Amino acid sequence: MSTLHLLSHSPFTDTRLDSCLRLLGSRDALLLCGDAVYALQPGSAPFASLQGRAEALQLFALAEDLQARGLAAPAWVTAIDYPAFVELSIQHAKVNSWL
Amino acid sequence: MPKSLLIISRQAPWSGPGAREALDIVLAGGAFDLPIGLLFLDDGVWQLAPRQHAATLQQKDLSANLQALSLFGVDQVFACSFSIAERGLDPQDLSLDELQLLETAQLSALIDRYDQVITL
Amino acid sequence: MKFAIALFCAAHEPSSRRALLFAQAALAGGHEIVRLFFYQDGVYSASTNIVTPQDEQDLPRQWRELVTTHQLDAVVCIAAALRRGVLNAEEAQRYQRSAVNLEAPWELSGLGQLHDAAQAADRLICFGGP
Repeated sequence: MSTLHLLSHSPFTDTRLDSCLRLLGSRDALLLCGDAVYALQPGSAPFASLQGRAEALQLFALAEDLQARGLAAPAWVTAIDYPAFVELSIQHAKVNSWL
Repeated sequence: MPKSLLIISRQAPWSGPGAREALDIVLAGGAFDLPIGLLFLDDGVWQLAPRQHAATLQQKDLSANLQALSLFGVDQVFACSFSIAERGLDPQDLSLDELQLLETAQLSALIDRYDQVITL
Repeated sequence: MKFAIALFCAAHEPSSRRALLFAQAALAGGHEIVRLFFYQDGVYSASTNIVTPQDEQDLPRQWRELVTTHQLDAVVCIAAALRRGVLNAEEAQRYQRSAVNLEAPWELSGLGQLHDAAQAADRLICFGGP
């Protein structure tokens, strides 16, 4: 069973990303939405942290949030739209939103 | 076979209604005889700190609700050891006796055991 | 697939819009939404008294339209709503409050409806925060 984790808080003001990474299962996926996509700013500590774990992680980001913020998805992140978001929530056994 | 639900409570007791409203979801589930689990994580472990005095802030004492968990049939209650240690709390001196302390490595297995999860 | 969608934030939060777009995509994909359950600050997303500037997206109206168009079961948690001053006519009367800011298609009910929806659905998905 795998879980899709959803994050929407900025990793620079909030500890949700750190906590999520601590308890992420080996087959889990992580979708960055809203301000959580700031974690994909190159040269930042969250970016390095995610990049370091990229091989073992399924990483996704909501395309509209990347585009709005002028960020690009690195090769190890898949940018998705809403229909793909729905499909992702079905592919995994459950969704854990870090409210 | 009812679906099981894990509530992950991450808010300190009086940082707003979050902690209280997370517990309300747990107790409502227990009242309906559903399989509910509760994990205290991050600042949620402050709900377990000893010798709290909610009345000083004119707030409700959440520990009464916590003591009611077993009465509502909720006996799967967990706390993250890392969160407890990070905050300098003594795992032997928490306000709830019936509690399973879990190491970080055990948390994803815990989540996997449940059909659904709400983290608030 | 059957989805239960729970919303925990007000209409001005980005995740309220995100939840709406997810709901629309789920329906467009042929999936079913068994219930929308608005909890915590999510009760504000159902307020009928929000006045949005004309050049901004009117989320509460769009939520109402989604519910009405697709005849969705749309529940606002009564305890969370009362605590936040979101009242329908019945509760405003009961508690002698001067304003009504919750109307159809929204219904006030208890947390049992969240659990009931979670049991009925294949997936429970929550939206909240920024």
